[in-house]
Amino acid sequence: MEAKRRLLCLAGAILLAASLTACQSGDKTPTSGASTKLDGTGKTLDVFMGANTIYPTQQKQWFNDVAAKFKAETGATVTFETFASANDELQKIQTSVLSGQGPDVYLLGTTFTPTAYATGAFLELSADDWKKVGGRDRFLPATLGISGPDKDHEVGIPFASRPFVMAYNKDLLAAAGIDKPATTWDGLRDQAKKLTANGVYGLALGYADGFDPWKFVWAMDVQAGNPVVDGKKARLDDPTSLTAYKTYLGWLANDHVVDPASVGWKNAQAIAAFGAGKAAFVPMVSASSKVTLDKSAVAGKYAYALMPTVPPGETSLPSGGVGAASILSGDNVVVAKYSKNKDLALGLINMLTTADSQDAYYKTFGDLPTNAEEAKKLQSDPALAAIVDSAGKSKNTPFNGAWSQVQLALLNVVVQSIPDLSAGKVDENHLKTLLSQAQTTAQGALDKSK
Amino acid sequence: MTSVPGRSRSADQRGSDKPRGGGGTTPVPVGRRPETAADDTAAGGLTPPAAGPAHGVPYHGRGVTRRQRPLWMLAPGGVLMTIVIVIPLLLALYISLLDLDQYTFREWVHAPFTGLANYLEAVRSADLVHSIVVSVSYSVLVTAITLPIGVAAALATQNRFPARGLVRSVFLIPYVLPGFVLGVIWRIILLPGGVANNLLGHFGVHSGLWLNGPRSFWALVIVQSWASWPLMYLLVLAGLQSVDITMHEAAALDGAGWWAKLRYVILPHLGGPISLGLLISFLHNVNNFTLPYVLFGVPSPHDVQVLPVLTYVESFQNFRFGLAAAMAVWSLVLIAVPLAVYLRVVRLDVGEREGRRK
Repeated sequence: MEAKRRLLCLAGAILLAASLTACQSGDKTPTSGASTKLDGTGKTLDVFMGANTIYPTQQKQWFNDVAAKFKAETGATVTFETFASANDELQKIQTSVLSGQGPDVYLLGTTFTPTAYATGAFLELSADDWKKVGGRDRFLPATLGISGPDKDHEVGIPFASRPFVMAYNKDLLAAAGIDKPATTWDGLRDQAKKLTANGVYGLALGYADGFDPWKFVWAMDVQAGNPVVDGKKARLDDPTSLTAYKTYLGWLANDHVVDPASVGWKNAQAIAAFGAGKAAFVPMVSASSKVTLDKSAVAGKYAYALMPTVPPGETSLPSGGVGAASILSGDNVVVAKYSKNKDLALGLINMLTTADSQDAYYKTFGDLPTNAEEAKKLQSDPALAAIVDSAGKSKNTPFNGAWSQVQLALLNVVVQSIPDLSAGKVDENHLKTLLSQAQTTAQGALDKSK
Repeated sequence: MTSVPGRSRSADQRGSDKPRGGGGTTPVPVGRRPETAADDTAAGGLTPPAAGPAHGVPYHGRGVTRRQRPLWMLAPGGVLMTIVIVIPLLLALYISLLDLDQYTFREWVHAPFTGLANYLEAVRSADLVHSIVVSVSYSVLVTAITLPIGVAAALATQNRFPARGLVRSVFLIPYVLPGFVLGVIWRIILLPGGVANNLLGHFGVHSGLWLNGPRSFWALVIVQSWASWPLMYLLVLAGLQSVDITMHEAAALDGAGWWAKLRYVILPHLGGPISLGLLISFLHNVNNFTLPYVLFGVPSPHDVQVLPVLTYVESFQNFRFGLAAAMAVWSLVLIAVPLAVYLRVVRLDVGEREGRRK
């Protein structure tokens, strides 16, 4: 009896001790890590980001470098997973959020941040969290514009900035006697008309692109004083929207300054046409186009400029209009709420957004830094002046969980107008019908938004 | 040599494969017959005494076999079916009753229950009806187009000729290419100013836009036909090979021409494979997502807004998971009705009885 009881006691004690140590090892590491140095020994941090199709090998190298550096700093292993398309990204997020497991850190496109926020699956950054990533002041104020609905509810930490500009062919403009690119959309149209001759078109556009069309329409709308989404009210059927669509589609149908084949083009094909010297302007390109263009026939003969900021039909910014040069574009980093390594994740983000890291990232991939100190350095580079300028003049798209749906509705109007466009016309009545459908869809989505 | 249970119709016809003690009347459970017969005698009473094991009279034996079949042996298959088919289906049905979207899907079990609201919304939206019309009409067209091509190709490669193996392999290329690759290739071909338009231009045809507008429907029909005719070809080829060589010989001896041979000897044998081919092809087309998605992208042009792409857009672009599930259920119902009718007509589900009859 006695022996048996003693054995039981022993077993109980061992069990208790074991569970206590287990608790300790589970609880203690993060707190001690936060106060002094992060200790991630034996832990793995999973990062999910878009595959870089322009620099695939450099991206792999960057993954290795980041992992090695973070291992040296904290002892934790960092693994990277990539997605090839926005749809892959969405599905991964959906399954991870549903199952409560998956990557710890996600790099999201800026326009997707509102939708991600709406799911409530990502960490809202407290003042303390911001401190752990180097402080909110570390970042360019403009890049924080789409981190959350307001300053106290932010999920996205700006990581890279990719503002849109337009590239123009210096030789073609000089030959036509144009000294600098226009700053109004009407002016751009007139210049494009002048430049369209001998198989060269004024503008290169990708009417079949999955994103470009709504960016044009959004920019023109915002410049004319229509924010597209006003609180919970959709304003897609405003006269300014009709004008925007008519202008954008009219470049091909009425002004004939765009290659008719571009009804089937995506953005890459428009850049290729510009690179082959077949177009004088290619609007809605980011700094990453530099890689393609520097290898093309127009290498050394082109430059970047801000896209027009004065809406169609105007000569100056109307009252209420916002001179948006580009949508606020780039990547935000978010941390999943289900992540068991939050402090480590924030530590990694801290490491990735220092001036040095951002400098290395910019030099390899061409994405502009969000780190204020590093951005200041780049401003002095004349080749980048326009792009850095655009970064400062970018405006965020509405921060609403329904924005993806609104965006799709805006895009759908162009998709369904392509047959008319291909026949060389802009059918105003058809456009109005499509716009009222888009308005209904968008309003329906906004009504459901929380 | 004992035939494996299953398609033993031909074995029965030949009469060379008499199972032990069963009398060879009910072909499907051939391998198990001795056991069941033994069970019959052991159980006794239930059957009239005439049902002896030596002369397996089908009518007597059947009632008992039915009742005493070892159904539990179906359990592994049943479990698998429950996991793979039944549970997801029930989940989809449940989701279709919820207001599940980007705001609620993190804790989807707590999403508001909305009853049939999603179903009503799906029916009220013109999109669903439109895409059902598009899906069904393109599927029927493609099936109708691929049938004669598949039959002709199978007949052409039936007889031996040099390099027949090579030709047969080449025929399968469209079918083995992944849908994504196929879509990308055809997209490049059909782009404005692409290969298709240049080629047609040589013949003086200025065709214009293929990937949007009314012609996009025909682009879909053409590309899908190109991609799916080998399925019909494969099934018909298999059917052709089951036609006994002696039939050809007999027909030849009787002086039948190629048409008479085709019409009265070969085609009657192809009824089964062709019906099956039509059915599979139709379902395959209705459910095809990759090709329209890659060819036309999203949002898809109005003329090619097929059902799977619409469902995809609703769930993965608009995050209306509940609504998308309701749409999927509607489409399931819509496919199931003609399918059930069709199955009755072609009797694909009554293989057992048909086998017994012969």
